Parts: sequence; C-alpha cells; structure tokens
Amino acid sequence: MAGAARAAAAQRRVVRVLLVEDEEIHRVLARALLKSAVGGGGVEVDEAGNGAEAVRRVREGGAGAYDLIITDKQMPVMDGHEATRQIRGLGVTTPIVGLSSDCRQSDVNAFLEAGADDFTPKPLSKEKLNRILAKFNLA
Amino acid sequence: MAAAALREQLNTLLSSMFASGMVDEQFQQLQMLQDDGGTPGFVAEVVTLFCDDADRIISELAALLEQPAVDFDKVDAYVHQLKGSSASVGAQKVKFTCLQFRQLCQDKNRDGCIMALAVVRNEFYDLRNKFQTMLQLEQQIQAQQ
Repeated sequence: MAGAARAAAAQRRVVRVLLVEDEEIHRVLARALLKSAVGGGGVEVDEAGNGAEAVRRVREGGAGAYDLIITDKQMPVMDGHEATRQIRGLGVTTPIVGLSSDCRQSDVNAFLEAGADDFTPKPLSKEKLNRILAKFNLA
Repeated sequence: MAAAALREQLNTLLSSMFASGMVDEQFQQLQMLQDDGGTPGFVAEVVTLFCDDADRIISELAALLEQPAVDFDKVDAYVHQLKGSSASVGAQKVKFTCLQFRQLCQDKNRDGCIMALAVVRNEFYDLRNKFQTMLQLEQQIQAQQ
C-alpha cells in the first residue's frame, strides 16, 4: 500500500528540468517535447542560455533544485562540457544529459568524461526524450 | 475556396515535401506535437524561427566568405548552427547540404564553401517558399472554421 502511494505520489510529482541551450528554436522544441512526454504532475522547465548561467542557476538553487539537466555542447560564454564539469564540481549528482548534433564517439566521450550521465544526438525527439526520462525514472 | 479543397491542397503540398526529401520525420513530429498537445501555431512558430535563423546565418556566411582571409572556424560554427536548426525543423535537404559544407570548411576550401553556400541558399529558398505556402493555407483553413 505504502509502495503504491509512493508510486502515485511520484506520478503526481512535478519533474524539474534545467534546459541549457542558446538557440531559441531548440528551446521551443525541447519545451514542447518535455510537456508532451512527462506525465503525472507535469514538468517545470527552467532555461539557461549558456553554461555559465546554468552553473549559476544550479549553485543558487542547491543540489536538489532539478531532477534533470539537459545541456547543449556549443554555446557562447561557456560550453556544455565546462558547465557539466563545474556542476559536478559543486557536488551536484542530478542526471546530466549532453546534447549535440556532433555525435562522433569522441563527442559522446567528451561529455561523459566531463561528468554527464548520458548523451543524445540532436535533434531531440519524443523517442529520445522518453528513453532519457525512463532511464532516470522521471517518466 | 472551400475548407475541404484547401485541406486537400495542403495535404498534397505536404506529401510532395516529404516525397522529395525536403522534410523528414522530424517535421512530422512537430505536426504531431501541435495536434496532440493542442498547441495551435506551434509548427508556425518553429518554422518561423528556422526561417529567420537560416536567413541571418546565410547572410553572415556570405559576408565571411567575401573576406580576403576567410575565418573557417567562424564559417564552420555558423554552418554547425544551421545544421542544428534544420535538423530540429526536419529540413532534411538543408541539413544534408550543411554536412557537405562543413567538410569543405574543415578542408579550408574557399571555392568549395562558396559553391556549398549557393546550394544551401537554393535549398533554403525552395523550402521557405513551401513553408510560406503551407502557413498561408493553414491560415485560410483556420479562417473558414
């Protein structure tokens, strides 16, 4: 019973996502996909236009501020690799998923070495997002 | 024109865009997000963002390639950006031409880049015309509902 209640509560829970992306078109698409893919209590999407802004938001929000961080690679001011490194340097264990249209093995490895948990190639799609949400128990 | 005839015209246009490889399944996904999510205007928003981005990037690329000493890293960064935008909207032909363009940037092939820009521009203009027709038809259909 308690397990079922916990599962129900988890289903109602709002999933908080930090989307780190400098280009509006990708942000608009990711927002729509997240709203469509997340069931239960829905999704709250916070946005950062570059890596430095993402690090600041995570630092200000604290370790549990987000359930998932999705970050682009190539951005002005600070790229996704450096942002991932700095977020991990804060001791934050939130799942981080790197995103890029460059998807050679070296691009994937660079994100993983920086501390990301996963990588998905652009463009973001419902299928890719569902896989990510399921992997981190956020669906 | 009656709404049914306009819808048929729109369906024919979309079918030809898919059949010619101008757009791919990613564009279909945008349409599904709009229909399933009940967010009218979503496709128009993404298409408009793409067209504005592509227009700006193509102008920047033309200016960069006119410089006596071409900054190929900058050119590559813009082509990378255009490739990403075109992939997100499902503009398959533009995306493929960007892939070839990037290879020419990496080879620092100025003449090749100028030719690739002309191809990207043509593919983009063709697609933009189709998108404009599509949005006009959608507006006319909505006006009749």
